[in-house]
Amino acid sequence: MNIRIGRRTALASSLAAIASPAVLRAQSDPIRLATLTPLTGAGGSYGPSMAKVAASVVEEVNKAGGVLGRRVVLVSEDDQTNPEAAVRAARKLIDVDKVAAIMGTWASSVTTAVAPLCWENKTFLCTVSGADSITLLPHQGFLIRTQPNSTLQVTRLAEFILSLGAKKVFTMIPQTPFTQSTFDILNKVLPTGGATHQSLIYDDKKNTYRTEVDQALRTSPDVILANGYTPDTVVLLKDVYRAGFKGKIIGFAYSINQKLVDQIGQNEVVEGVYTFAPSPAEGSAAFDRVKALSGLTNPDPYTSQVYDHINMVLLSIAVAKEASGVAIKDNIRKVTQGGGKSVDNAVDGLKAIAAGEKVDYTGASGPCDFDDKGDILDCKFRYEQIKSGKFTLVKVA
Amino acid sequence: MSLFLQALVNGLVSGALLAVPAIGFTAMFAVLRFPNFSVSGIATLGAFAGYLAYGAGLQMVGSLAIAFAVAGAAGLFFDKTAHLPLVKQGALPAAIASIATGLILENLVRLSFGNEPRGYDRPIARDIRFDDIRVSPQQLETMSLAIVIMLAVFAALAFTRIGKAMRASADNPELAALKGIRPQRVATLASFVGMGLVGVGGMLLGLDSSIDPLTGTRILLSLFAAAVLGGLGSAPGAVLGAVLIGIAEELSVLVVGSPYRAAVGFVAILLMLTVRPRGLLGERAY
Repeated sequence: MNIRIGRRTALASSLAAIASPAVLRAQSDPIRLATLTPLTGAGGSYGPSMAKVAASVVEEVNKAGGVLGRRVVLVSEDDQTNPEAAVRAARKLIDVDKVAAIMGTWASSVTTAVAPLCWENKTFLCTVSGADSITLLPHQGFLIRTQPNSTLQVTRLAEFILSLGAKKVFTMIPQTPFTQSTFDILNKVLPTGGATHQSLIYDDKKNTYRTEVDQALRTSPDVILANGYTPDTVVLLKDVYRAGFKGKIIGFAYSINQKLVDQIGQNEVVEGVYTFAPSPAEGSAAFDRVKALSGLTNPDPYTSQVYDHINMVLLSIAVAKEASGVAIKDNIRKVTQGGGKSVDNAVDGLKAIAAGEKVDYTGASGPCDFDDKGDILDCKFRYEQIKSGKFTLVKVA
Repeated sequence: MSLFLQALVNGLVSGALLAVPAIGFTAMFAVLRFPNFSVSGIATLGAFAGYLAYGAGLQMVGSLAIAFAVAGAAGLFFDKTAHLPLVKQGALPAAIASIATGLILENLVRLSFGNEPRGYDRPIARDIRFDDIRVSPQQLETMSLAIVIMLAVFAALAFTRIGKAMRASADNPELAALKGIRPQRVATLASFVGMGLVGVGGMLLGLDSSIDPLTGTRILLSLFAAAVLGGLGSAPGAVLGAVLIGIAEELSVLVVGSPYRAAVGFVAILLMLTVRPRGLLGERAY
């Protein structure tokens, strides 16, 4: 028998031979995602557990068969709580690792620097930064945040300060993307409760704030809002104590935390200080999963939020049937809101999606519903007070 | 007015603390003839060495001695291996190498201790009030320590043989060598003592606040400005420069606000180099 292979057949079959592994390869190519968290720097106490919880979720998902039959690879980079270092790391994640999404940027200055790289390269960005300005950037939908914006946070904070009976409030804050908006909101809300507000911006790299504290105390405040990060707040609170301030002090829980108390090392310096933070959904099954995955008995809000980031991103990819920034952007709200089967983890959600069900993700940080700008719609806050060196719950509201 | 006086007092205290490493920096410049920017890393190293010693139960003076010895030894090692071989090519290569050394040291400290700020376990006391002016007992203690250390350095330079040899070498190395002063020995000593003082300065600055890998980097500009202001190479000039920079930085908080504090150092360097490049007390004025 004469077997004749025409030129066209030969060409087609050899092309097919060359192309088919490529098709197969594309299908088995891993889905590449990244965390960019502050493993070092002022946010260094949060970044490692943030990266870890995301890695644990990915491990679970891979064990359960991956997403769209593909393995998920999670790259972790350190933003050093520093915009310059963060931009270098983001460039590497986008250009070299070619990730579809970056999750977990913490400091507002870092997110502000990284966001343009992300939207220009169609890479999706999930952040825990609070500055109002972030969701106002022209991000074309390539950004969501699970942290309530500063308008929501500072408004609630101002209401709490008023509930303490404050008449003269003094804010001490370093230069940050949320400094001006914080002043604006406090100046608006505090007078409605009969309190006056004055403020001072300090240099967060000084090793003493005696002169700044003097300036604050000349105004005889009854409440001082210490609104910096941990390293500078350590110095500030020591100097406030030395100056003999007897009023109330309040600050954000991301800076006034157990590490700060340990570093100051003297309980009376921080006795009675109030802290304030967006609260994770304590008691929810998702929050319990974060506890198990992170190994923390009381996971911080950021670790809870990054758990939500990775779950939402994986579910969006599954719904889109495509692992790209654009696919995540177009589908993230389809898996987080609008009704459907309520899920709190990617493995269950992926099964439901594979079965053709619509899912509605509710996470460890809250309901995870977003408006068009990328801000969350709802969140609870947690108020604590330091008593004998320990944080005691005042209320969650 | 009292706000101004308080800022003046605060500036005087931070100036006194800054003076110790500034003397070290300027003394090294006088003898070794290049600006050794690795002081940033060495100050951090000294602060951490003192922190470990203090944490291990040593008293303040003992811990300062450890900070001095560790910083001095490390500084000497890097000078001998990295900086001094380059001085023959000019001050600039050595200065650039010293910036690299500073970065290496900073990151070695980061690798060993992490980025978390740490505080010396010292009691925090309420301030003592003199009418409207406040001074903290700890500030007084650290300032007294700084003053004692400075006096000891000046006494050594003025009255000991080796101190005189150092001054002679700084003034005119060739003439000093002709007189039988061995330049190598003087250079070794300048390196060790200068860096030791920088290490002690790092610890003194950390005592009241906290220390982390960037402790030294934060003071680098102020330190350099103090030395330039007083006249690079002049120990009394470094003290004067440090006090002036300390006061100017605190007063700037009242005038232009704290975030512009860093500009004080730059403006001081700019003005001095434009108007009087030799510094207030002139070069090598002991």
